[in-house]
Amino acid sequence: MNMTSVSAYWRPESLGQALELLDRPSAVVLGGGTKLSAAPSDAVVEVVDLQALRLNDIEPGERAAVSIGSAATLQQVADSDHVPAVVREAARREQPSGLRAQATIGGCIATGDAESELLAVLLVHDAVVTMAAGAGVVERPLDALLAHLPVPAKTILLGVTIATSGVAAVSRTARTPADKAIVAAAARRIRGVRYVALSGVAYRPVLADRVADLDPIGDFRGSSEYRRALAAIHLERVAEAIS
Amino acid sequence: MIDIGFQLNGVATTVTCAPGDTLMVVLRRLGCFSVRYGSSTGETGAAGVLVDGRLVPADVLLVAQVAGHDVTTVESLNVATGELHPIQAAFVEAGALQSGYSAGAMVLATQALLDKNDDPSEAEIRDAFSGILDRETGYVKVIEAVRRAAAMLRYEETEPMEPVRVEPLGQITPGAFPVLTDVPAAVPRLVPSPDIPHTAVVGRPERKVDAVRLVKGNASFVDDIELRGMLHAKVLRSPHAHARIVAIDDAAARALPGVHAVLHCGNTPRVKYASGGQTWPNPKPWDQVSFDDKVRYVGDRVATVAAETPELAEQACRLIDVTYEVLPAVFDELDAIAAGAPVIHDEPDTVGIYDAARNVSHHIEGQTVSDDELATAFATADHVFEQTFRVPQQQHTPMEPHITIGWLDGDERLVLRSSTQVPFHVRRMVAPVLGLPVKRIRVMKPRIGGGFGGKQEMLLEDIVGHLALATRRPVRLELTREEEFVSSRIRHAQTLTLRTAVDRDGRLLAQDFYVVGNTGAYGTHGFTVQSVTGQRALSAYNCPAKRFRCEVAYTNRPVAGAFRGYGAPQAFFALESHMDDIARALGLDPVEFRRRNWVGVGDPLDIIPQLGERGAEDVAPEDIPRVTTCATDECAAQALRAIEWERRLDPAWHRPADRPKIRRGLGFALCMQATSIPNLDMGGASIKMNDDGSFNLLVGATDLGTGADTVLAQIAAEVLGVATDDVIVYAADTDLTPFDVGAYADSTTYISGTAVKKAAEAVRTRIVTRASRLLGGVDPDVTALRDGRAWTPDGRSVTLEAVALNALHTEDQEQIMATASYVSPESPPPFATQVAEVEVDVETGELTVTRLVIAVDCGVVINPTTASGQVEGAMVQALGYGVTEELVLDDDGRPVNARFGPYWIFRSDDTPPMETFLVQTMEHSGPFGAKSVGEIAIDGVAPAVRNAILDATGVAINAIPLTPERVWRALHRQPPRRSSNRPH
Repeated sequence: MNMTSVSAYWRPESLGQALELLDRPSAVVLGGGTKLSAAPSDAVVEVVDLQALRLNDIEPGERAAVSIGSAATLQQVADSDHVPAVVREAARREQPSGLRAQATIGGCIATGDAESELLAVLLVHDAVVTMAAGAGVVERPLDALLAHLPVPAKTILLGVTIATSGVAAVSRTARTPADKAIVAAAARRIRGVRYVALSGVAYRPVLADRVADLDPIGDFRGSSEYRRALAAIHLERVAEAIS
Repeated sequence: MIDIGFQLNGVATTVTCAPGDTLMVVLRRLGCFSVRYGSSTGETGAAGVLVDGRLVPADVLLVAQVAGHDVTTVESLNVATGELHPIQAAFVEAGALQSGYSAGAMVLATQALLDKNDDPSEAEIRDAFSGILDRETGYVKVIEAVRRAAAMLRYEETEPMEPVRVEPLGQITPGAFPVLTDVPAAVPRLVPSPDIPHTAVVGRPERKVDAVRLVKGNASFVDDIELRGMLHAKVLRSPHAHARIVAIDDAAARALPGVHAVLHCGNTPRVKYASGGQTWPNPKPWDQVSFDDKVRYVGDRVATVAAETPELAEQACRLIDVTYEVLPAVFDELDAIAAGAPVIHDEPDTVGIYDAARNVSHHIEGQTVSDDELATAFATADHVFEQTFRVPQQQHTPMEPHITIGWLDGDERLVLRSSTQVPFHVRRMVAPVLGLPVKRIRVMKPRIGGGFGGKQEMLLEDIVGHLALATRRPVRLELTREEEFVSSRIRHAQTLTLRTAVDRDGRLLAQDFYVVGNTGAYGTHGFTVQSVTGQRALSAYNCPAKRFRCEVAYTNRPVAGAFRGYGAPQAFFALESHMDDIARALGLDPVEFRRRNWVGVGDPLDIIPQLGERGAEDVAPEDIPRVTTCATDECAAQALRAIEWERRLDPAWHRPADRPKIRRGLGFALCMQATSIPNLDMGGASIKMNDDGSFNLLVGATDLGTGADTVLAQIAAEVLGVATDDVIVYAADTDLTPFDVGAYADSTTYISGTAVKKAAEAVRTRIVTRASRLLGGVDPDVTALRDGRAWTPDGRSVTLEAVALNALHTEDQEQIMATASYVSPESPPPFATQVAEVEVDVETGELTVTRLVIAVDCGVVINPTTASGQVEGAMVQALGYGVTEELVLDDDGRPVNARFGPYWIFRSDDTPPMETFLVQTMEHSGPFGAKSVGEIAIDGVAPAVRNAILDATGVAINAIPLTPERVWRALHRQPPRRSSNRPH
């Protein structure tokens, strides 16, 4: 397996400096670094490490929301009292302890892993991602961002804001209790409105509450047929759990 | 290059490094050898360090990322020679160290956890350790170590890790099953036997003799040395499952500055060999060469490069231009032996293939009756049952991948420092491949980070030898994790068909067992593993008519080899599933049906001579091996009591009212192994006495983390009347230690242990003779050794130090020492009963194993802590075999899950509660009564879980792993899917 080669390391002190560095050819954002180092690639890159930008705060926001900095580690999310319980649990499940202490929620979003239970949970919590680029700071709903991954070049994820109100639940099937879910369904109900998302049924976790819309890609952990069956079961279960 | 400054263990440190250097690489360069390579993905946690107090994997962190931060390794705790930090002491006392490869990370994980929470719950401990994979301990004793460390740091008293003595139950008794008192799972449950002799050291939970070096992260393993001018090797591997190499152009690779050698089939001698580390002469076929002009699986060797850096070596590999003629490939063992399959070994110079045109490397047959008698038995039986089972390739995944460092010493002899289970076999096997006499090669085995059979091979040593000879420079070759998954060795996949005749009373009348084994691209261990499959399946139960037939198929899958259990896990999955289904069909309790048939003391093991390593033997009836010790009844009683077997009869327990989609079940499996290979396995030991009355014990036996060195030291100490730490063990160096076949076939305690006992007894004779003289001429025969002194019956004594000084310096001087070796005509089997409790979600097929209990008859237990640790680790490995583990290939033979996440071995946070009972018997042929214990617990989990699913749902599944989809398809009567090139 070839590893990504790093030709230069930058640690900008400001957002502006970071965006400027990202103008360099082959420059990429380095969050926790767990994905960059582990992903097989022949690429040679310059890395722009965002750690000095202090993007790791988790703060309650207005109108029953919490704002999570993109550099907040999954462990920080799992430990934060400001974060809804199902999100915390999904963050804990996302990685084992060592990687969880280093991997960031920004990295999780940028990777868009199809089987990420955390992304499914974020989707039902109305997640909105804040990003900085040359044109300024913009906000984008998480589902729209996931649908158009990768994150545009020369863009820095600043954070994600999620709703904290409502009743939420997750239902999942995995090979073992700690294994990544083959299919997971997350749901949240707020003032009679229901949000449902699934992981493991498409290229990215998706907002979806109808199995008929799905055409899952099968692999050795679950065929397309099985994933479709699981989706139906878990949609029903989470609906019942939040009803 | 850039300069990076950070605090390392409290000291300001600046390093000059490349921007892409990982923290792991730099820390090791700085001498922090406790930070170890397990993968490049952070998944093993072996490279765990604290950064600002957080445990993070240093293999995925750029060193630049820690600039300005505090980095802590376990070396920070090693402030005084010989002293341990309380966390380290807790790990040693709890027996939480096996190979200790990841010990540094484990100690740091404990430190980080306890800094936040001085009294963590078990769930919190399990979560904290979820980032450190441990293939050895089963996590049971690790969790206990953290608890003990927490208590010690709270200044609380901790109880010693003494085994709990459990009263024998005598037999399986229906009705109430009182559960044991609550003691930590890490504490071994020891069931005594009245005929076990009193001993002072044997039977004690002595701490491991290598505990200090391991828990401190001291330089111990192959990679923990640095040699000036060392080159780094990489191997170019085949992208095709089956292809001829038409041409190789290595000019660009050779032209790359810093490249010192490029070797391939065009410039390397073609010397045929079999890579399995087995006794001379190695079983045929000898179907491998160092570099062939044909590749037979994705990941096969094509070429190798030695260069100044690993990166350069990789770059050079990419520059080698190989022209392939791609050939059709076959992956499934049944497809491979069918007409029209591509022929994998069509080379003319391999001898010993049974039928190369049909891809059959070996054909094995053995039977205890004639074909006619067998047919009659089936024809006249009340019931006949037939089933076919399929088992996949499982990878060993030791945390330390294969690694070899080789160099030419001052005498220009080749020295190979290698992570091997078989150093003596490797020396003998690599010599002709390199064109050197054996005497010009030295193989050294330092500490090994787990092997499980995967290192019973000559796998890297020939490549490193070729390169060291070609370059005259030290050469290091370490497999990446992906290479370890694909290009090392793997457990044989098999298709197993059992046909069984049974009378109306539930007694076996005939067993006919047909197996097709999948040896992958090469036939190493192909004959012996499959023979053992037959031996085990047809030895566990009494039956008057038995037949075993097997074809071992070459395929274009990764190469199968030795793996803990060595053919037995496959056999017992089929056999014990089959037995459960027969019991169900007959309306019998599954344990009672087995009890009517399982072997006991005196019963013949009559299939074994028919399937021996050296072929079928005609043996006289009186020479048929028989069971000499067996506590299966007691094992069953203990396991059934612990799991509360009577719940099988409670419908309410099966269907919990508050969880309507869940069904619960209990499953049982019998297990049986061997203890060494009779008349074949040989071990030697040498003991010499030092001035202070201590002893050096030199053995060729190879401790892979199992605690073998400790057990051997205990045996010597028992005979010599000293403490275990008065015996200093040095192991497995072909120049310095006696020969030993190595660590396999569950032989070390039994064979090497007996050699140690014999050598110690010879030394003892010299000591008591001299001591008797010093004590005034008493009869040496009545002189006893204990507590480091020689004693007369009337209470006078002399220290062993005085005896040693007398011998070495004063009177009639001599070096008191002795060498002994041992080969056994017997192979007394250990037995075990495995039970499992499961929950099945009947809608999704999700399986949760909620509890495992095993009771093992391993003879007299030499060290309850290391023995139970072996059992716990094997159970978790077996759980993976049953539930998750399978190396999956795509349609072109490329691996799709060759990393830990997708492959999935059980982590600390999803391993079920486990309980281990050690039921002792006095095996008179073993040292102090010992049999083997290291492998048997791998046998029973998969069938016990499968049978528990059957109990829970009524659904019988005849393939593993028992993935959610497989269970779901069985529950919902969906046709099996075809996956990983193998129909299931």
